[in-house]
Amino acid sequence: MTAVIETSGLTKRYRRVTALSDCTISVPEGRICALVGPNGAGKTTLLRLLAGLAAPTAGGAVVLGGAPRQDPAYLAKIGFLAQEIPLYRRLTAQDHIAIGAHLNPRWDGESVRVRLGGLKIALDRPVGTLSGGQRSQVALALTLAKRPRLLLLDEPLAALDPLARRSFLAALAEAVAVKGDGEVGGGLTVLVSSHLIADIERVCDHLILLAGSRVQLCGDIETVLAEHRFLTGPRKDTTAIARAHAIVQEDTTARQTTLLVRLNGPVADPAWAVEEPNLEEIVLGYMSQDDPADGTGPEGARLSAVGEGR
Amino acid sequence: MTWVTWRLYRYQGVLAAALFAALAVVLLITGLHLAQMWHSDLASCLKRSSCGNLSLNSPVLTTLVVGTSAVPLLPGLFWGAPMVAHELETGTNQFAWTQSITRRRWLVVRTGWLLLAAAVLAGAVSALVTWWSGPDNALYANGFEANKFDVTDIVPVGYAVFAMALGICAGALLRRTLPAVAVTLAGFVALRALIAQWLRPHYMTPVAVYYKLTGLYAPNGSYLSVSQGIVGPNGKPPVGLGGYVFNGAPVPTVCAKVVQNPAPCMAAHGYREYLTYQPASRFWAFQGIETGIFVVLAAVLLGITFWVLMRRDA
Repeated sequence: MTAVIETSGLTKRYRRVTALSDCTISVPEGRICALVGPNGAGKTTLLRLLAGLAAPTAGGAVVLGGAPRQDPAYLAKIGFLAQEIPLYRRLTAQDHIAIGAHLNPRWDGESVRVRLGGLKIALDRPVGTLSGGQRSQVALALTLAKRPRLLLLDEPLAALDPLARRSFLAALAEAVAVKGDGEVGGGLTVLVSSHLIADIERVCDHLILLAGSRVQLCGDIETVLAEHRFLTGPRKDTTAIARAHAIVQEDTTARQTTLLVRLNGPVADPAWAVEEPNLEEIVLGYMSQDDPADGTGPEGARLSAVGEGR
Repeated sequence: MTWVTWRLYRYQGVLAAALFAALAVVLLITGLHLAQMWHSDLASCLKRSSCGNLSLNSPVLTTLVVGTSAVPLLPGLFWGAPMVAHELETGTNQFAWTQSITRRRWLVVRTGWLLLAAAVLAGAVSALVTWWSGPDNALYANGFEANKFDVTDIVPVGYAVFAMALGICAGALLRRTLPAVAVTLAGFVALRALIAQWLRPHYMTPVAVYYKLTGLYAPNGSYLSVSQGIVGPNGKPPVGLGGYVFNGAPVPTVCAKVVQNPAPCMAAHGYREYLTYQPASRFWAFQGIETGIFVVLAAVLLGITFWVLMRRDA
């Protein structure tokens, strides 16, 4: 399987802060890849670098066989949806369809009409008067109408209620399922950033975890799940485990120790009870490992709340 | 992109056209009336160099015509300043700049049409005002004076192009619409005043004439007065005791005994009046120079805008 996104040492520094540091990832073609991490982890920066909206300070990226750049041929292959769902608020969806038709070579305006018609979203009302969920749907439909090969979505679910979230993800999954656009060749690959792991877990099959502006995890979700285990046992020395496996997170109480480990083979010591963590628990483990404050901070709290609501 | 630009500005464009039409109606009706008066009564009395208290127009109309000096600023204020700033504020630049079009093309096309629109609007208003002011300028021979020079012929086009470039550049640098509007307004007014007041009289070396004290001198046609006063035989202004003034100059010490009527004494001692001015024949040269200055400034501002927007992350 060929990689649609391949970055090496991608780094973005603004005047004082490093937004993204030494980011090396690879996303195979046809995947829906979740980009998760706490606020300020560099998710938006990574997406903007890939979309050619920002230039890296160091390192490079190869996306669909070329570096992200300000070039019509490159931009035609990329669909980018920014976090604030930027659309011209006074213009209607119909206007946006017409604008897209003037600015894109492979424009499929009819697909927008069909998609929005199915969702009963008015085409002739200024998009500023639509609800947040409807606006997101309009923006997604417009992004898809470019018939991109790579879709970069920045927090598309953040402003949506649970129902709108579900309908948005359904639309996304459907778009990816419709493969084999002969003219374009190859399927659609999606990189979607979100805090709502429980939601995107249902549609994503790949995961990139950024924390502290660095990549913590990058791989197939099934593999990630298979590689991680909770080990619970009596309070004792963990060096033996650390030698064989990678301890992601260690939680010690007076009586017992709970470890989240990335396995390097079976756990030999029968003193440890082995449990399978879910994706969210793994992600949380990595986030709190990077910065201890994260576990109790707003980010961690938000993720936990989502988990409990499930 | 041209179509997109039109779609984004069509309401503003229609509004601008409507306002222009209203102004045109007022100026056409009153202008035709003026032309009629000019041909029937005024032309003959002007030949006798005496038109008494005849006045061609009302203060309201004069104010309106002088007020058209604001017209070149408006497109820059309402279209230029928000062009980049509003997109950055609302994030729509991320939509625009991820369509299959380069940032450069987006900038070139949009800037180009806005500059053209500003130039056409200012040019059309200026053409109307120039035609309307014809009889008035002929009667009062004041076409070279600031209030007339600024609203006629080609300089308004230069102003409009400059204001548009200033608005776009301020928006690109400040990234906020309101501050960009404020900077455009302040920058335009300040620079226009500065150039009209301090720079324009010196585009060319002024013509100097000397004439006798208490005499009268008026150059032919409309001229731009640069300076006037009294000079002594040494070519310098008189130095006096202070307290006594004649025609704006101190009464020189030699005439201290006749301060009530110093003119004959001063004339006898070689004091003369002088006037430096730019003659009417230089009107078009001055129009060209001033337009050129503003167009060059606009080009510099647009260069900065492009440089900043092409280099900076969106």
